[in-house]
Amino acid sequence: MKKLLLHILIVACLFFLFDRSLGLGLKFLYSQSNATDEYKISYSNATTRDSVLFFGSSRTLHHYVPSIFEKELGLSCYNAADWGIKNIYYHYGQLSNILTRYTPKAIVFEIHPCDWLETPFSGKERAGALAPYCGMSDGCDEMLKLSGKYWPCLLSTVYRYSGSLPNLLTGKLGAMDRSLKGWKPMDGILDTTGLVAEEYPFPVDQERVALLERFISTCQQHHIQLVFVESPMYLCSAQDVFQFPRDLAAKHNLTFLDHYRDSDFVGHAELFYDFGHLNRKGAELYSRKLSKELRIE
Amino acid sequence: MVVNSLTFLWFFLVVMAVYYLCQPKKQVQNIFLLVCSYWFYAQIDVKMTGLLGVLTLAFWLMGHGIGKAIEKEKERQASLLTTLSVAVGIGALFYFKYLDFFIGSFVAAANLIGLHLSWTTLHLVVPVGLSFFTFKLMSYTLDIYHGKIERERNVLDFANYIAFFPTILSGPIDRPKPFLKQLKQSRLFIPDNLMSGFRRVLWGMFMKMCIADRLDLYVSAVWNNYEHHSASSILFASLLYPFQMYADFSGYSEMAIGVALMLGFKVAENFKRPFFTINIAQYWSRWHMTLTSWLTDYVFMPLNIKLRDWGTNGTIAAIMLNMTFIGMWHGADWTFFLFGIYHGLWYIPLMVSGQFFKKTKIKVNSHGWPTSPFVMKMVGNYLVVTFGLMLFHSNNISEFWDVLCRLPQAWNGSLFFDMPTLANAAICSIALIYVDIQEEWFPKKRLYLPTWAERWRWELTVAVEIVAILLFGIFDSNQFIYFQF
Repeated sequence: MKKLLLHILIVACLFFLFDRSLGLGLKFLYSQSNATDEYKISYSNATTRDSVLFFGSSRTLHHYVPSIFEKELGLSCYNAADWGIKNIYYHYGQLSNILTRYTPKAIVFEIHPCDWLETPFSGKERAGALAPYCGMSDGCDEMLKLSGKYWPCLLSTVYRYSGSLPNLLTGKLGAMDRSLKGWKPMDGILDTTGLVAEEYPFPVDQERVALLERFISTCQQHHIQLVFVESPMYLCSAQDVFQFPRDLAAKHNLTFLDHYRDSDFVGHAELFYDFGHLNRKGAELYSRKLSKELRIE
Repeated sequence: MVVNSLTFLWFFLVVMAVYYLCQPKKQVQNIFLLVCSYWFYAQIDVKMTGLLGVLTLAFWLMGHGIGKAIEKEKERQASLLTTLSVAVGIGALFYFKYLDFFIGSFVAAANLIGLHLSWTTLHLVVPVGLSFFTFKLMSYTLDIYHGKIERERNVLDFANYIAFFPTILSGPIDRPKPFLKQLKQSRLFIPDNLMSGFRRVLWGMFMKMCIADRLDLYVSAVWNNYEHHSASSILFASLLYPFQMYADFSGYSEMAIGVALMLGFKVAENFKRPFFTINIAQYWSRWHMTLTSWLTDYVFMPLNIKLRDWGTNGTIAAIMLNMTFIGMWHGADWTFFLFGIYHGLWYIPLMVSGQFFKKTKIKVNSHGWPTSPFVMKMVGNYLVVTFGLMLFHSNNISEFWDVLCRLPQAWNGSLFFDMPTLANAAICSIALIYVDIQEEWFPKKRLYLPTWAERWRWELTVAVEIVAILLFGIFDSNQFIYFQF
């Protein structure tokens, strides 16, 4: 028994040594990476100090051109969104991390149904993308706990970068052009064959609603101007999908700029890359239009 | 409760602690093990735990009867009881697994000839592990009848053999003789067993979480949306699928064998590097070995003896039936039926040329590597297996046909290449291929370590494997492919 315990102890020591040393290397590579996922998460959580931040899912990542907003608003802007249908669990953790460093002037938040509905394809696990920032803020840790990744992240540094090694090793060759300030344009035109509108037949998730409320109150406590926005889709749902955020914005006296059914875009295949994402031309056109409506006080 | 989950880890730690506290009282150990096995099964399929218990008791009683009849030289009674036990085993399988399929197929066939039947399927839920434990049950009564074992007098030991929690869900399908023999001895706390078992569990986890689950991201992305993918993507995903299956099922078997070893049991091996084979017969002798050997002993051999008057044709007929059973064992669909037939057909040239009865050894060069003609044959055999698994992967025949039809139409599209997923899988696959090559052709050669490190080989390997699993693994994946069978 003593011999076995000794073996286990040696394994634990070796594991600790390998895990921490490899973890340090991975942390460095992560902060240097230019690959989309890693760059977006690391820059928005740990580096950006811009006045206006854009939050949201992949639609935000591809639709909001910071340079256009900067020209119109006279403020520095950064597109802090990431792909992978990120939802309020991720956004709340991200906001908490950012607030440990500085307070932005405004947040433009493109709200998505997965921020308040019980969408099976996007749940708590999305906060797991914040694993490399475990310990950075209470909010981030709380979201990691909900995603089930907090304790593994505390036990192992390597686990925080699980599955990222190839991206990190080739990070310098990554596809993000840093001069675009977080915007990721998409080149191409939508193929309209067989398209159907996306519907959201899911119930309201009270936990997500409570988090959205906390997101709003955190912004208010820090005097951050929060604006809800919605960019266009090629095909729109038959339901009034955005009634909930409209009510929420009214309740908290927030602006909600809804372009979901904007006729300048809906049905214009030449402005879309796929049914839910604008292409470069569409994103520039939409950003110009929105920047004229956006009032940052 | 999946074997590679945190819940299982806690469960197993508690089981192991209490289990070894019970040593050397083997009967107490066995009772505790049985309680744990039923509790484990109930966590997964609580409704069917009763069925498992009833079938176990029924087969134990039938085995008891067969054994007594043999002792009293009542051959007819023994034969009748054995036939009854096989009928009960196959009946349970048929009822839960195949009845809906046959009703559906019959109604569809009747519709084709203009008869409109209003029969509805029963929508039965297949008990988890049914195909595995019914085979164990049947092998028990058949082995008693054939004089290979004596009847088990202790019903608890027999129940332990059937419900043994590391193997009940997906095998290996252990034979009664070696397992029951181990139950008669007290399992003592042996650190070496624990250490070797733990290494096998880790290796299985690596295969499952770092290779199978990573490859599944790519393969499923292509196969589940094949209508939107190019021919090159479909072919590439199809080529990856056999390797994914191997890592998934062999990974599970490694974990099951490792967990059993940690409890002091040696269970049968299930895989022996199946892609280092040059024909389909060799492949099946190394892939899911416990199923193949079960069907060889209880289906192929008796059939071959019955049909021996037909010569080679009789053997071919026996093989075709045997392979059809292998196919259908996997599931109730015509794809599995064709999967079996397809593999059976590949046996015919081997039979005709006489290669089936020869043991062809792979030639190696002076460095110990297989020669190029044999490498080519291995590649060819992999392609044969790949095509068969395309059938296996398809949800139905029409999907398989659609995929085949898409191949010549979609040559213009580009290859879907999910770099991070494939790169992660590739790094880990290299490790698996390296280990397999070493075990196959250089079994005596071990990875060189400096003298000081050699002393800590086990510790180093375990620490590296844990870090590798954390770095490359997928932790929120789906179940094992073979759980559905």
